[in-house]
Amino acid sequence: MARLADRQAFERYAAEAQARWERLWAGDHWVISVGISECSIAKGALETYRHLELLLAQEGIPATLRRVGCAGWCFAEPFVEVRAPGAPPVVYGNVTTDRVPDLVHALKRGEVKGEWALGARADEPFAGVQPLSQHPFLARQRRLLFADAGVIDPESIDDYIARGGYRAFLKALFEMTPDEVVAEVKASNLRGRGGAGFPAGIKWESGRRTQAWPKYVVVNSHEGEPNVFKDRRLLETNPHLVLEGLLIGCYALETPYGYNYIGGEHALAVERFQEAVRQAYELGLLGDNILGTSFSCHIRVRTGGGAYICGEGSALMYAIMGQRGQPRTKPPRSVEEGLWKRPTVLNNTETFASVPSIVLNGGAWYASLGTEQSTGTKLVTIQGPVKRLGVAEIEMGMTMRELIFEVFGGMREGYRFKGVQTGGVSAGPLREDQLDVPVDFDSLTELGGMLGSGGFVVFDESVCAVDFARYLMAFNRYESCSKCNPCRLGNPALVEILDRIRHGYGRPEDLDIIREGSKHIIELSLCGLGQVAPMPLLGMMKAFPEEFDAHIREKRCPANVCPISEAVLAIVGDD
Amino acid sequence: MANRIDRDERIDLTPLLEVLANRFRPRDDQEAYELIVGACQEAQRLYGWVPPEAAQAIADHLGVTINRVYGLLTFYADFRTEPPGKHFLWLCHGAACYVMGSSRLIELLRDRHQLVDHGVSLDGELTLHVFNGCLGVCDLAPVIQVDHHEYWGRLTPERLEAAIEALKRGDRLEDADGTAG
Repeated sequence: MARLADRQAFERYAAEAQARWERLWAGDHWVISVGISECSIAKGALETYRHLELLLAQEGIPATLRRVGCAGWCFAEPFVEVRAPGAPPVVYGNVTTDRVPDLVHALKRGEVKGEWALGARADEPFAGVQPLSQHPFLARQRRLLFADAGVIDPESIDDYIARGGYRAFLKALFEMTPDEVVAEVKASNLRGRGGAGFPAGIKWESGRRTQAWPKYVVVNSHEGEPNVFKDRRLLETNPHLVLEGLLIGCYALETPYGYNYIGGEHALAVERFQEAVRQAYELGLLGDNILGTSFSCHIRVRTGGGAYICGEGSALMYAIMGQRGQPRTKPPRSVEEGLWKRPTVLNNTETFASVPSIVLNGGAWYASLGTEQSTGTKLVTIQGPVKRLGVAEIEMGMTMRELIFEVFGGMREGYRFKGVQTGGVSAGPLREDQLDVPVDFDSLTELGGMLGSGGFVVFDESVCAVDFARYLMAFNRYESCSKCNPCRLGNPALVEILDRIRHGYGRPEDLDIIREGSKHIIELSLCGLGQVAPMPLLGMMKAFPEEFDAHIREKRCPANVCPISEAVLAIVGDD
Repeated sequence: MANRIDRDERIDLTPLLEVLANRFRPRDDQEAYELIVGACQEAQRLYGWVPPEAAQAIADHLGVTINRVYGLLTFYADFRTEPPGKHFLWLCHGAACYVMGSSRLIELLRDRHQLVDHGVSLDGELTLHVFNGCLGVCDLAPVIQVDHHEYWGRLTPERLEAAIEALKRGDRLEDADGTAG
């Protein structure tokens, strides 16, 4: 493949890619797509793919077999999308290897396996199968970043271009000045999706104002929190979208140096993003003098070694620089002095992925989505015993109740809702009576929760609030980088007190000690991890005071989880 | 554990040197520093851990000090500086797995197999790594990734026990990901 020399060459290439895409979907032959992503591989998607390949050949169905990315419905993996000649594509869920023969035989007979179908990609019901867009998981979603998830092959730049990819980058490159790009991002009021919610446009603007050279643009795909998996799904399912956002970021900052820092454990995300970068180089969308302009851009992919703290901005930069990932005091902020002591603009994966649609449709259009203070869409993941587990993309402002009980289907059989932990390990939980809060940056914070990176953990009656608080605190203890004392010594102390309570030796004054100690950690810690580390514990104490009381005063664990109840059981057993 | 460190077998560095020569070619000092972690990850992929010889080879190749390499190896949780057991259990202890009961699995491994985080079982068969982040396959929670490719999902202590038995026998576990029921 030759490098594309200029804009016309790209337009020709895009037209060809689009024509190929349309021929594929002309409707006169079989097209069968299997979703291959980390979560579906875990559930046997590769075996499903191999079985399909074999059986289709045996049965003489001349199908084009494709690999696509994940579409967010973890609960239905592995999924297979079948387009029979003359029929709309039908998506089947949970197609494990044992279901493949039945499915292929049904297809051979020209039937639709209605009971396994998630939906048909059509506006009207087809052969008793409802339109996919009306599936309860998808009906309330608004998909911008995940629009092509499960539709395009993540390892094919042609698929991405055929669906309108790299248009935003071309628009920025040929029709806009860097200042105009920044102005659009600012107008969109896009706030950082990593958790802090700092407006991306303002960050980019201060990055532009700084005079030092060179500058760097960094994507933070570290995602080391214990409760979220949206960034890696995005990278697995549409890596070019993130790459395009990063390219636009580099153009806006007028710098040729872009980085993507990806958590080392997200192997498939790393692999697919690297492949995307390779393809973009091959096509001339990366490299020197892109499409005949004076703009050059080089992207380096760096992987993390499994330290949560490296998601913090300054720690991440030290990690890229080959040092131990420990944060430093600010100021200077990283837009003034970041990577290699040069101005660095760092944003979350999802933030960058939102940029192409902003450039393409304008900041005002993006600002019209969501709520006034939290614009746009948000990728959210819900974990725990809910019926439809996965990644959803919603407009900001949907209530937590709608999110949990409509999009994610509510609790599984036999589980009763007790609470939902928000903001990962950095905030408190919500109780049932607080669920009518809108999911956006500010409303959740008012209730002691946090939007964070959009990972929510639903838990049921079998989870003890004290034990859960201990789990979250133990995470922060383990992941503390040990640079500053309040965090390094304070968190273990809190875990110790909690362990005392869990074992039945809690004293009423322990709660005051926790509050006092937490105050020190929050006020004196150096970085964001320490400053919010005690928040989940304080949140649990606020939301479930009666459980802490039961442990301390009545020496019992209502959920029968803590060691305190084992001791009681042992005594009863001796009788 | 001590006898595992005084090992007789020598590490064959050829594959690592090949990877380093082909894919780790820094153009300047900055890039050399940036590549250390990636090179260590390659070494761990090849050997299952980062042996001292490999760490030295990486330091020599990239022109950095061995202290720098060990500074990173001991900071980042993913790296092992001691040889692992025959099978590698990567136990997800993310919030989803915790809510679904991963603590009970950790207790079982500790009490019945004397296996703790980053440890090797006495028979040298199993290595455990408790992963604090999220493996991202929450539908299977609580979940363990085995030897980097297979998943045991929706585990209970009983199923984990059966899975370990099967693994030691060299069998595959029926319905390993736990989705059939």
